Amino acid sequence: MAEGRDTGRFERICNDLVELKDTSELMMDLAYSALLLNSRELAEEVRMLEEKVDRLHTEFELLVLSSCVKPEDARGLLGLIRMGVVTEQIADAAAEIAEVVLRGEEPHPVLRMVIKDADETVERAVVSEDSPLVGKTLKEARIPEETGMWVLVIRRGDRWMRPRPGTRIQAGDVIIASGYADGEEDFRKLIGCGS
Amino acid sequence: MKPVEKVEYTPVSVRETLILMKDISELMIDLAYSAALFNNRALAEEVMELEKRMDTLVYVLNMNLMLAARDREDAETLAGVAKVGSLTNNISDAAADIAGIVLNNIGIHPIVREVFQRTEEHLARIEVKENSIIAGKTVEELDLAAEIGADIIAIRRGKHWMINPEKEIILPEDVLMARGTASGLEKLEKAARGEAGNLG
Repeated sequence: MAEGRDTGRFERICNDLVELKDTSELMMDLAYSALLLNSRELAEEVRMLEEKVDRLHTEFELLVLSSCVKPEDARGLLGLIRMGVVTEQIADAAAEIAEVVLRGEEPHPVLRMVIKDADETVERAVVSEDSPLVGKTLKEARIPEETGMWVLVIRRGDRWMRPRPGTRIQAGDVIIASGYADGEEDFRKLIGCGS
Repeated sequence: MKPVEKVEYTPVSVRETLILMKDISELMIDLAYSAALFNNRALAEEVMELEKRMDTLVYVLNMNLMLAARDREDAETLAGVAKVGSLTNNISDAAADIAGIVLNNIGIHPIVREVFQRTEEHLARIEVKENSIIAGKTVEELDLAAEIGADIIAIRRGKHWMINPEKEIILPEDVLMARGTASGLEKLEKAARGEAGNLG
């Protein structure tokens, strides 16, 4: 019995750690994209994620601390706590990079020198009920092929997902993509209303 | 304690340096997590090498920013860039802390490690030997992802790092950082050691 409970708890610890790790890496990605594309929208997403990571991190620490620590387990659990702290530090740094973007006036003079390509832009669109993309995987949706826009992240409620070929699109998903400004309209059409 | 090296001014492009720092910090994070979750000391030591490189880059970046400021307006704008540089350095410090979990023998709880070993991608540090079939080839032409399900994410040649290499020719004594399935990495390792006549 005790062993079964243990395994269950460790599974939850692992899930939480994976989520912390993935979220902090995603934040880094988005923060640098916000900087290089001078996108306030992306920077805002990073700030939202920062709040989420703070919450997750507290839950994670509580979970680790509430494991009955046998002396021989203490080291391994300390390693987990340290790893959690590091994901939090990465998330903080990403959020601060986003703040540098948000602090600037538009167009941001600081970042013009690091900007990737002036024609590049970031777009955010909500998948509508009648979008042809509903129920399709990202691979099937062919967003880059159809619009020239590259999907950076998909937000579903309070979950942020890295785009993977097998990710299935749902109505209400917020899709954030970057690309050249002339793909913007195609992108909005495809995601938004179909036809 | 080891002596700290003096960093000399070299003119560099701020934009390129910042992007290089970003790439290095991302590589460090990948290597560090893998080091901790697979209890791999060699990977952890590579993270520490990259950390040194990063420290130098931050100095050089800041020197270039200081010389670029001519007036108040410049100072206001360049302070933001300096901030991003130092934050990128924070991220690399965080990665070094993860590597420290391995190097200080703290370790990750074995049950958690087991779960990760099932789900996460593996990273490996691989040395290229003189008689290896991959020596003399570019990363691109090896097309490892398609051939064996592994990918070279960085090459270290002495103190010089090449991140996300494509056109670089692999030389004997290079140290490769590779990502992939356990079996793909095993094949690559064999080929790099010169023990296999082909990649398959």
